[in-house]
Amino acid sequence: MKELRLIFFSLTLALAGSYAFAAGPVAWGLEDYASEFKLFSETRTFDRDSWAALPAQEQERELTLARDPAAARLAAVRTWHAAAMRKWSTRELQGYTAGIKEKDLQSAELWLGRAAASELKKKLKLVRAALKRAPVEGLNNNDVLALAPHLTPEAINDLRAMRAAAASATLTPGKKGSSPGSASTAALEKFSASLPSGDSAAVARFFDGSNASGDAAVNFSGAAQASRAQAGGAAAALKAAPAPQVRARVPAPLPQQKSADTAKSSAWTSDAYGYTITAGGRTTTYRDQAAAEAAIRALPNGSVSKIILYGHGSPGMQTVGPATYDSESTAELLKGKMARGGVIQFSGCNTASIGSATLNPAVGISMVARRLLYFSLPYFQDRADGVPAAQAKEQWEKGWDADLARDTSLGVRGAVVCGYRTFGLVPGRLPGLTRVMGNQEATTPGYVAGKKACYRDGQEVAAQ
Amino acid sequence: MTDLNYILETVLLLAAPFIPVIAGLLLRKKFASAEGAPRTGLQKAGRLTGNILLWGGVLGILFMILLLFHFNGKI
Repeated sequence: MKELRLIFFSLTLALAGSYAFAAGPVAWGLEDYASEFKLFSETRTFDRDSWAALPAQEQERELTLARDPAAARLAAVRTWHAAAMRKWSTRELQGYTAGIKEKDLQSAELWLGRAAASELKKKLKLVRAALKRAPVEGLNNNDVLALAPHLTPEAINDLRAMRAAAASATLTPGKKGSSPGSASTAALEKFSASLPSGDSAAVARFFDGSNASGDAAVNFSGAAQASRAQAGGAAAALKAAPAPQVRARVPAPLPQQKSADTAKSSAWTSDAYGYTITAGGRTTTYRDQAAAEAAIRALPNGSVSKIILYGHGSPGMQTVGPATYDSESTAELLKGKMARGGVIQFSGCNTASIGSATLNPAVGISMVARRLLYFSLPYFQDRADGVPAAQAKEQWEKGWDADLARDTSLGVRGAVVCGYRTFGLVPGRLPGLTRVMGNQEATTPGYVAGKKACYRDGQEVAAQ
Repeated sequence: MTDLNYILETVLLLAAPFIPVIAGLLLRKKFASAEGAPRTGLQKAGRLTGNILLWGGVLGILFMILLLFHFNGKI
């Protein structure tokens, strides 16, 4: 009996010990989680201090969530680096020399190590110098030898031809504006093939793959030289070549939320809008429509527990910055993505119908204002424009009390869809106050003064 | 006839925030005390109600203006 007790006691201790070990804090930068920590650093989700401040269980959760995006990111950077290290054709030469920025090299260094980054840096430096020199001084044999491991023979020949082309262009002045060269030179002024940079938005774009070849227009450093070589031939090919496609399509990681929320600008009025998506226990915010929609589409089905669309609303529709959503487009975007009981929150004015009578004077005034602004005003405008009374009446009587939340709930079955019966006033949007608070570009509304209504499958449920 | 109905409705809706203001002013006037004389309980209650209606109405009008700015995208 005593032996049994001893075994049981030892087992209990072992279990407790293993639990304590499992729940222990993970040191920042631990080799076992190298990729995850690199992702945290790059997206600025955590730094050493904020990581140390996290409870052990939270650390564990964050590491688990970051595992797949980190692996995907590593694979994407590897692919990109391998492509960039291959011999460049004329087109690639243009794209890479113009597109690769310091931040891309920093990313390469972070993910692949200093050696890999400096290899690429060296190649870039060499090629950029050659590109600069080629139309002016031409390339000598030493240059050609040095470039041979990095460029295809065709690209080297094109570079060598640039001097002759430049000289010929100098001899034939005029017709500059009408020459085919000027069009291609103009095209050259804006293009990129960058590995997007490490800041949050760019990282998100890169991970989304939506703008994998870079969406920022950059000045092609060699364009001025290349523009001189308008005389056709090989050098013309160099000018007219479009940027190469440096594709690295990987799933979007969840970028950090700090940038937009804490963005401080000096504007006195608010330009706050955005998407706040909670999926898999993690909340991310976006201001960019394409990035947000790409992130939503990349999420697994049934994973979104809450999404807030923050912007301006009116009966039957809601804007989020430049994007506009009605019940159909919202349902199309979120169909299948919502978890059972997940909440879609329209944080915009009048995104639910006015509902029944109320004794709250503020709500009453808001409803009066809604009728005046979304019925009376457009009705009389239509009448002034000669629209028949019956037609104007039919149109606006139908529209002024439209219920975006209810209609959306019919399209996204099982989800709870909430909107505001009234105008929703956000104190943080007040002119002046928004400047003091520094939240002109906030992506989540915070407190909203308004009457909320929620629906599930078209039936009203308790507000959430 | 449709237009007339809607014109009437619009006038009433626009007048709604002014009703408590007018009622408040009337009550304040009705329950005003004579110069220097102490106010009775009824006068105090009447003036309090009048003040609430007046300032509530003023706030309501300001609120409507705020909503108008909001509608125009100024806020």
